[in-house]
Amino acid sequence: MHLKLAATTLALALPLAAGAEPVTYEIDPDHTFPHFMVQHLGVSWMHGRFNKTSGKLVLDRAAKTGSVEVTIETASVDTGTHELRGRTRTRDEHLRTADFFNVQEFPTMTYKGSAKWSGEWPSEVQGQLTLLGVTRPVNLKVDGFGCAPDPRMKGKREVCGANASGSFMRSDFGMKFAIPGVSDEIRLQVQFEALRPL
Amino acid sequence: MESFLQHPAVQGGVAPFVAGLIVAALLGRARLGGLAVAAGYAVAIALVSGIAFSPLTALRKIALLALAAPLAGIAIDFALRSGRALALVVAAICGGLTIWVFWSVLQHKAPGEAALLGGGAALYVAWLVAATMTLSAEPVRAGAAALVLGLGTGISAILAASALLGLYGIGLAAGAGGFLLWQMVTGRRIAAGATLTLSAAVAGGLFGAAALFLAKLPWHVPIVLALVPLAARLPVPARFPIWAQAILLSVYCFVLAVIAFLLTSQGVAPPA
Repeated sequence: MHLKLAATTLALALPLAAGAEPVTYEIDPDHTFPHFMVQHLGVSWMHGRFNKTSGKLVLDRAAKTGSVEVTIETASVDTGTHELRGRTRTRDEHLRTADFFNVQEFPTMTYKGSAKWSGEWPSEVQGQLTLLGVTRPVNLKVDGFGCAPDPRMKGKREVCGANASGSFMRSDFGMKFAIPGVSDEIRLQVQFEALRPL
Repeated sequence: MESFLQHPAVQGGVAPFVAGLIVAALLGRARLGGLAVAAGYAVAIALVSGIAFSPLTALRKIALLALAAPLAGIAIDFALRSGRALALVVAAICGGLTIWVFWSVLQHKAPGEAALLGGGAALYVAWLVAATMTLSAEPVRAGAAALVLGLGTGISAILAASALLGLYGIGLAAGAGGFLLWQMVTGRRIAAGATLTLSAAVAGGLFGAAALFLAKLPWHVPIVLALVPLAARLPVPARFPIWAQAILLSVYCFVLAVIAFLLTSQGVAPPA
């Protein structure tokens, strides 16, 4: 038991050693969900999320550098309305049309960025969001970043994760329909986890 | 003023109608009254999503072709001898351009599906262009066809989940409504020409195809809307005044639009 713990600790500590190389983590799609919030009719902030996300996170803890690349399937948008309520389509179906995410023409959106560190861990991502064929800078504030052995895998896997938040104006990406009834400002709250085998 | 222009009824209806009416009134004597239709959908596009061409998405390609169509129509009316052969050539070109418009969508699909969808959309637009251009010399029939093609496409698009394409289509209809109303009020025909018919067919056809590709318009609805130019050829009593002819022809065509609405409602909603 003590030997296993020592081995795990050693494996986690290796990247911290001088001359450590960047380590690549695969985004965990079951624990990574980009949530968005949009104001409706100037009254409330509606929440939605994308259910299918993939990508990778690269960290070099010694050099305090890092990068992230995330691909989001736009058709996986989910605002929780699955009832027609007398309409011919649901809100999510409307969001998938050319009025908003235009998923047939743009099946994915991507986010690529580099990490800024504060202390031991990244605290901000300065990146570029590509949505509807338009690429614009979008920076995310990172809270609570941390890495730890994955207890589900008895220490044979490391998991890193955090929460990131930011905002952008959708009109910057050419998504102008229904402004201002559906707000131009989009607020982001992304929970993510990334994994690597040890 | 800004909040007024942001209202969907203004963006798709009131402003395009006023633009169409003004164009028909001011340019009718110069044989350019057919620009009313293009004025209608151009105003709708500008107000709903703005006119921009970069990046050149499918919707922006549609806007580009819809704005180019009236210019091509003017060239045909003033510089070329219109006829069946020319209509077929123009229709074939528009069919080819339809593939270009939706190429960025088609390339995400399996080859068989892409060929079927792309070919179907190209055929739809080409047919509308050829069939509608035969109405160029008959302004009341052409106006009625454009009115119902726009309305049928627009409301079907809304039912098929795209309010944006819906407003584009209704904008087309509103411009055609201005063109028709000016004739009904004055009792005088004003030239439609390819300026009107090519604009209405290209824009209406591409809006419909976009609702098929980018929203949830059932594939069989465009087949019904394709019959609108034929319905506009149905007989009306020659002794009827223009306003009565316009109403009667619009009713003929509108029957097809109602069928399109019903088919869209049933085709989009999942079975209970």
